[in-house]
Amino acid sequence: MIEAKGIFKTYGKGESAVEVLKGIDVSVSDGEFSVILGASGSGKSTLLNVISGLERPDKGQMLYDGMDICTLKDKEVTAFRRENVGFVFQQYYLLPNMTVDKNVRMGADLAQNKDYKEIIEAVGLADKLRKYPAELSGGEQQRVAIARALAKKPKFLFCDEPTGALDEETGRLTLDFMSNLQRQYGFSIIMVTHNANIARMADTVIRMNSGRVISVEKNADVKSAYEIEW
Amino acid sequence: MIVGLKDSLKLIGVSILACCAVFVCTMFLNYYFDLRAVGDLVTDANAQALYDAQLLTSKVVILITGLCLALTAVVMLFFYIRHYIDAHKKQLGILKALGYADIKIASGFWTFGLSVFIGAAAGFALAFAVMPTFYATQNNEKLLPDMSVGFHGEILAYFVIIPTLIYASVAILYAYYKLKTPVIALLKDSVQYKNVKKRGNEREKTSFLTGVALNVLSGKKSLAFFIFFAAFCFSAMIQMGLSMRELASPMMEAIMIAIGVLLACTTLILAVVTAVKENAKTIALMRAYGYSQAECANAVLGVYRPFGLLGFAVGTVYQWGLLEMILALVFKNVETNYKFDFVAMAISFAVYVVVYEAILLLYALKLRKASLKQIMTE
Repeated sequence: MIEAKGIFKTYGKGESAVEVLKGIDVSVSDGEFSVILGASGSGKSTLLNVISGLERPDKGQMLYDGMDICTLKDKEVTAFRRENVGFVFQQYYLLPNMTVDKNVRMGADLAQNKDYKEIIEAVGLADKLRKYPAELSGGEQQRVAIARALAKKPKFLFCDEPTGALDEETGRLTLDFMSNLQRQYGFSIIMVTHNANIARMADTVIRMNSGRVISVEKNADVKSAYEIEW
Repeated sequence: MIVGLKDSLKLIGVSILACCAVFVCTMFLNYYFDLRAVGDLVTDANAQALYDAQLLTSKVVILITGLCLALTAVVMLFFYIRHYIDAHKKQLGILKALGYADIKIASGFWTFGLSVFIGAAAGFALAFAVMPTFYATQNNEKLLPDMSVGFHGEILAYFVIIPTLIYASVAILYAYYKLKTPVIALLKDSVQYKNVKKRGNEREKTSFLTGVALNVLSGKKSLAFFIFFAAFCFSAMIQMGLSMRELASPMMEAIMIAIGVLLACTTLILAVVTAVKENAKTIALMRAYGYSQAECANAVLGVYRPFGLLGFAVGTVYQWGLLEMILALVFKNVETNYKFDFVAMAISFAVYVVVYEAILLLYALKLRKASLKQIMTE
């Protein structure tokens, strides 16, 4: 269970200070697919960074099964991410000078996962092991990023607009891969998006506006990637 | 202006190299000219041998120091220009797309010659500031006729004006050569892709961290050279300074050690800063994924350690060979008791290891600042 309690975050100082998160209280159950939905500038990416331990809040608690990661030292937070967290970003952030195999090993080596090639196979890239990112399409690059994240066997997968740079067909394919893999491996997904249609795939939808959570809804009718509108 | 004055001022490494080279060369060439002027006053046979030895030493020092540092400055200049073009390739691509000729864009790189001018002028001034003390020390020994510092205008041309013009021209020509890249490659990063294909450093069985280290190394081979050079300077200059007590004055020893430390630290810091900057995205991503600071530092910086050790070893052999050569050629008629100084080597090595590891540790701590958020907002 992930719980954010009274999270505040401000960037800048003095007159240029911008309060991005204004007292966030939200919780996510284990094994769920949760979506943080909001317009650009609503604070959803900052919330994702705080929840995942990439950034520290100015105030508040970030609890993982009761353990507040905000009280941990930098080294301990790094170790926490190493053990528990995977990331998928809109811009993929693959290492351009490394093959698909090596990019995925970035995650696999952390978990001493010798069977990481199974995940590459699961995302449909078994025949592209020795290709470099520049030789792949956008959708394939995002699938490498997903494989990299999953190869470290995370308990929580954080995704920041993972389909933001993809066309509809590739976007649906990517989301389909993610939800299938979630069912197969049982990790939690916390995904940031501005696309309200994607929210229909989630178990929980957290809506944000101007740095505040305005609603948390449980989705009774969860759709697949091919059932939603785009 | 395509390349701003600020950009040329960032070439501090080139300026320091130029400063050291011009400082040593100006001092010894000026001394050579002044010594030649008092040649008729040397009558004693022992003094004549020492006089000839001093003249030859000056020539050897000018030739070796000047040539060695000038070539390194060229390598460093090329490194900076390549780095500048890589960092600004989109802007340069847009200029080319708009119809600017390669030579027109390349001509803007003349400002890189300014870094040589600044360093050379500083070295020239520093040499004239130190020379009165140097001459006074020599005069006090009463082995040769008294000399006073003379000003030889041609030295200003040889070591300040001509090198500035040469380096400015070299900068323009090298930039012109590098700008031959097609516009689309500058705009779309396809150059990087071509390099990637050529590297082929990927081995199936190596770990991710080994893969990063190999990539870091193959991506910037020039950094390996700079670290080699830094260790070489440190080793050679310090050991030479400590070993040649019988052959040179304490002032010369101090100057050699100071130059060695200055060149080594400057080059080493520049190389490490570049390695960290070049790999900022990789480090940030590794940190986000949970790789520790030590793992990141070892992958990105530790890979250069063997080059430093090699540089130190070569520097040790070089200084020993050079001193043996000077003894054989220059001091053949003067009795000396020079032997390879193992204590000097041990001291230099211990200090080198401490300095090198301290600089690496300092920059390893800076890796903590590599935040993924920063690269996400780029």
